[in-house]
Amino acid sequence: MLLKIEDLHVEVGDRLLLKGIDLEIGEGETHILFGPNGSGKSSLVMAIIGHPGYKVIDGRIIFKGIDITEKPTAERVKLGIGVVFQNPPKIYGIRLRELINRISGKRERGDDILKLLDRLNITENLLNRHVNVGFSGGEIKRCEIAQALAMNSDFLILDEPDSGVDVENLELIGRELSKVLEKKSALIITHHGYILRYLKPTKAHVMIQGTIICHGDPDQILNQIMREGYRWCEKCRLMRRS
Amino acid sequence: MQVDEEKLRKALSKPAAYGPDLDLSQYSMEAVEQPKVDEEIIERSFEVGVDLRKRGALTTFLQIDHGALYKSVQKQFEGDVELLTIEEAVRKYDWVKELMWKLRSPYEDKYTAFNALHGAGGYFLRILEDRKIHMPIQACFLMFSPGAIQSVHNIIVAEPGSEAQILTGCTSHPKVSRGLHVGITEIYVRSGARLNYTMIHKWNPGFDVRPRTGILVEDAATIIHNYIAIGYVRSFQSQPTARLVGGNSKITMNNVVYLQGSSEMDLGGEVLIEGKGDKAEIITNAVAAERAKIINRGKISCEGEGGKGHISCRGLMLSDSAEISAIPCLVSRRMDSELTHEAAIGRIAEDQLFYLMARGIPREEAESLIVRGFLDLSPMNLPEHLEQGIRRIIDMALQGF
Ligand SMILES: Nc1ncnc2c1ncn2[C@@H]1O[C@H](COP(=O)(O)OP(=O)(O)O)[C@@H](O)[C@H]1O
Ligand SMILES: [Mg+2]
Repeated sequence: MLLKIEDLHVEVGDRLLLKGIDLEIGEGETHILFGPNGSGKSSLVMAIIGHPGYKVIDGRIIFKGIDITEKPTAERVKLGIGVVFQNPPKIYGIRLRELINRISGKRERGDDILKLLDRLNITENLLNRHVNVGFSGGEIKRCEIAQALAMNSDFLILDEPDSGVDVENLELIGRELSKVLEKKSALIITHHGYILRYLKPTKAHVMIQGTIICHGDPDQILNQIMREGYRWCEKCRLMRRS
Repeated sequence: MQVDEEKLRKALSKPAAYGPDLDLSQYSMEAVEQPKVDEEIIERSFEVGVDLRKRGALTTFLQIDHGALYKSVQKQFEGDVELLTIEEAVRKYDWVKELMWKLRSPYEDKYTAFNALHGAGGYFLRILEDRKIHMPIQACFLMFSPGAIQSVHNIIVAEPGSEAQILTGCTSHPKVSRGLHVGITEIYVRSGARLNYTMIHKWNPGFDVRPRTGILVEDAATIIHNYIAIGYVRSFQSQPTARLVGGNSKITMNNVVYLQGSSEMDLGGEVLIEGKGDKAEIITNAVAAERAKIINRGKISCEGEGGKGHISCRGLMLSDSAEISAIPCLVSRRMDSELTHEAAIGRIAEDQLFYLMARGIPREEAESLIVRGFLDLSPMNLPEHLEQGIRRIIDMALQGF
């Protein structure tokens, strides 16, 4: 098992956001996490990568067999976790080019990185701008994905890579991810599931109010959500803890 | 301008409006013998952006203590640029005296008065009408004699339609621990001229510094006035002052400061908008480390029709023993003026730090990236090689951080 989350309880401030999450993702698998706004999906991402503001009060996170629950972010990254954030901060004064160079270490992968940037349509102009400052929605996503892929992590967490993105950008992102995910493992959070057009995920989960209430086939779950909204999930018993 | 000696002598005891008061009798005008331009001096000048190795190729002025040691105009621009010592210029042209003390009053405080009475050295730089000088002009003032007061007067005239980039680096020799640098600089930006003027400072911790800069910007002229200080200073106080007298003229004052140790700096910038449609901007990014104390004053007054002004003061605190004050001030005497300011002081933002760490960048490196990013040079519009040079200086200063 690549990632194993057991009975995870997470607090921000003194508010309990995650109330006993269990999740297992195997090597080479792509999992989808659905859930309405505010259900705690991004909080789960923050807890996995180790944001200091998200306190694990119970449960464990095991990655590659190592308990990382108490480990600092740097170590989790070193072990091979890369994140595409939903709302990355603006960083004044640091150019995208500089950041990507740092991330990729400019090694012999230099050529690969250039190709990657090209495929994601990250232009010279964008590279010269300060990270996320004045970027459009699509630009933010493409740059987040470029950074995460430049890290070459084994396990990718993508927090809504398809929201706020127009058709052309979605196409770019979808194509790139479908190729990358052939060889890697991932947890993808998506609100409306647009990205699923390009991917063949292993399994989907639905989070409601800080708990995962069901698992199942991604297309099937998406269809249900499309038809009935998340009310369907709440009354759903069939797939529960399948 | 004619100066009144009696009045000057009285002004010799007048403290400056801001900054700690200094006792001028503690410094001397005596100088030891001037050194040769050796590796140490070349290295030090390089740290304030002046490349003395290229002195044969670029328009260059070098003054050590009280007298010019080197001065040359780039071959390609002979006849476009005139570079003289201030003493030579006063002898050569009657009108140079008229330009002196017109943009700063010699009676302002003890430092200007001392300069008017006892000053020695400085350059006169004239860019002739419509000439575009696309290679940097560099000037270096280096203090070599211990306990000395270096008191120079510079005059810059960018004649109508001319363009130039001027870099002035001021510094102390690494071996000297104490001294006072007073620099009077009067800059005339004539109609339609475009000037990029950059001043870079690097001092030993025992140095006191009191620059006095006056700028006149005429019709449709533009000046970018940059100030960069990295490292230490015992005390620094300056309030460069500009008047926009024509219409559609523009000034941007950019200040980038990183201070450590027990350095104390009172840095201002004052612009008076008199013309129609003039624009003024004062942008300061200041970082205070260790016990450094930085006061940042910006002031824009508007009397011109439809004038626009903006002040941005941003401070980054790297220690609980440091102190930063931001005092932006706006004065409007026109209903149609548009004056704004923003001021913010804080520590390194946790969300930015976390973001970089989540990208696999170690904490120390992420911190230094953010600090370097804060000391953003891009609004300064510097020539590429100079911007890279200054980045190197900043990197060196941040290595210990
Ligand atoms: N750093 C935080 N501080 C306070 N509340 C937070 C923080 N992060 C998330 N929350 C709250 O936790 C809930 C879940 O948020 P989030 O995990 O972002 O949901 P989702 O990603 O599913 O939309 C929301 O009510 C949100 O306001
Ligand atoms: Mg979210």
